[in-house]
Amino acid sequence: MIFGMWDSPFFDLGPIPVDHLVFTEWVIIALIGIIAFTATRNMQLVPRGLQNAFEAIILWTYDFFTQLMDKEHVAKKWAPILTAFFLFILLSNYSGLIPGAAHVQGFQPPTSNWNVTMTLALITFCSVHVAGFSEHKGRYFKHFVSPGWAMLPLNLIEEIAHPLSLTVRLFGNIFGEEMVIAFLLFMAPFVIPSAIMGLSLLLGAIQAIVFTILSASYIAAATGEGH
Amino acid sequence: MKRNKRFGLSVLFLTMVMILGFATFCMASGTGTMPIEQPAGNTPEFGNLYVIGWSAVNFFILLALLYKFAYNPINAMLEQRTATIEGSLKHAEEVKVEVEQMRKETQANLADSRKEAQDIVGRATKAAEDAKTEIIAKAEENAKNMKNKATAEIQAATEQAKIELKDTAATLAIMAAEKVLNRAITEDDHKKMVKEFVNEAGDLLC
Repeated sequence: MIFGMWDSPFFDLGPIPVDHLVFTEWVIIALIGIIAFTATRNMQLVPRGLQNAFEAIILWTYDFFTQLMDKEHVAKKWAPILTAFFLFILLSNYSGLIPGAAHVQGFQPPTSNWNVTMTLALITFCSVHVAGFSEHKGRYFKHFVSPGWAMLPLNLIEEIAHPLSLTVRLFGNIFGEEMVIAFLLFMAPFVIPSAIMGLSLLLGAIQAIVFTILSASYIAAATGEGH
Repeated sequence: MKRNKRFGLSVLFLTMVMILGFATFCMASGTGTMPIEQPAGNTPEFGNLYVIGWSAVNFFILLALLYKFAYNPINAMLEQRTATIEGSLKHAEEVKVEVEQMRKETQANLADSRKEAQDIVGRATKAAEDAKTEIIAKAEENAKNMKNKATAEIQAATEQAKIELKDTAATLAIMAAEKVLNRAITEDDHKKMVKEFVNEAGDLLC
């Protein structure tokens, strides 16, 4: 097994190459879409079964971000994108635990590649500044030079450090986890990796939550009264 | 039935996992030829613009799907649910007010009824009192009338008896005098004596 073996084009869609992990992303998105469609296909006033579970997830994330952000209108505006982050990262992390991940063609856990985590971090980065600007308008740019002009470089570094840390944290954790499981499978393929796989279930959820909470807190900081 | 089926399926699944695990174990340790390649690190290429682009597109597709199938319907449902609950609460409040009104009305009716009953009893008592007074007055009057009548009758009878007694006494006296004297007396003597006797007898009798 060679890591990154499938970090290569799977097939070409016209002139654009489609990587294995991009195909996996499609499958994950289709899965989320199908679950969402099935859950909300026949909405009932009194929720039952899948509708209840799905509503609970959406409402839980919404409440969570509302509590985190203080400003309810900001939370309402940005909760959907954060929930999408959470669901996408969670399923991407867990996809690495399914047998055959990184072995079968077109099945590469997306979050074990830092191009994907960087994309997500860049979306967060853009969201943070759009949220800050739409909340404070022109005043938003003042915080780059606060408390004085001398702090501009440091502030800029801080802004760049946010997406960088998001990228590396998620990528490092999932890539490392995948690597540990692969090595354990190589050395002792029976029973022993299951312990690490159990931990990976926890790790996958924690990383998804951490990424989402950090994104939410960056947005909260940008839209907060400090600016 | 459903439970048995689920139980059977889970047993089947666990057996498969055990067999597969055992098979890999045997294969890994048995023949000496490793079926699993030794892991070799190959850090993913950084800055693959195609992957970045695809991931961004995919993420926004996911967002759109979630908006279409999750956020919008769930928000609509939540609004509907809020409206329903608010409606129910409002209705409950209205019913409560109505019940309170009805209770007040009933109490008022009850008070009226009680008052009316008291009036009726009062009126009946007064009528009975009046009737009693009237009956007693009438009875007293009747008794008085009867007494007066009786007194008058007794007086009349006494007078009558007196007159009759006087006549009888006169006749008796004449007869006695005739016997005593044994002679005829004149009319004047006769009358004189009778008068004297009667007066004496009358004084004696009365």
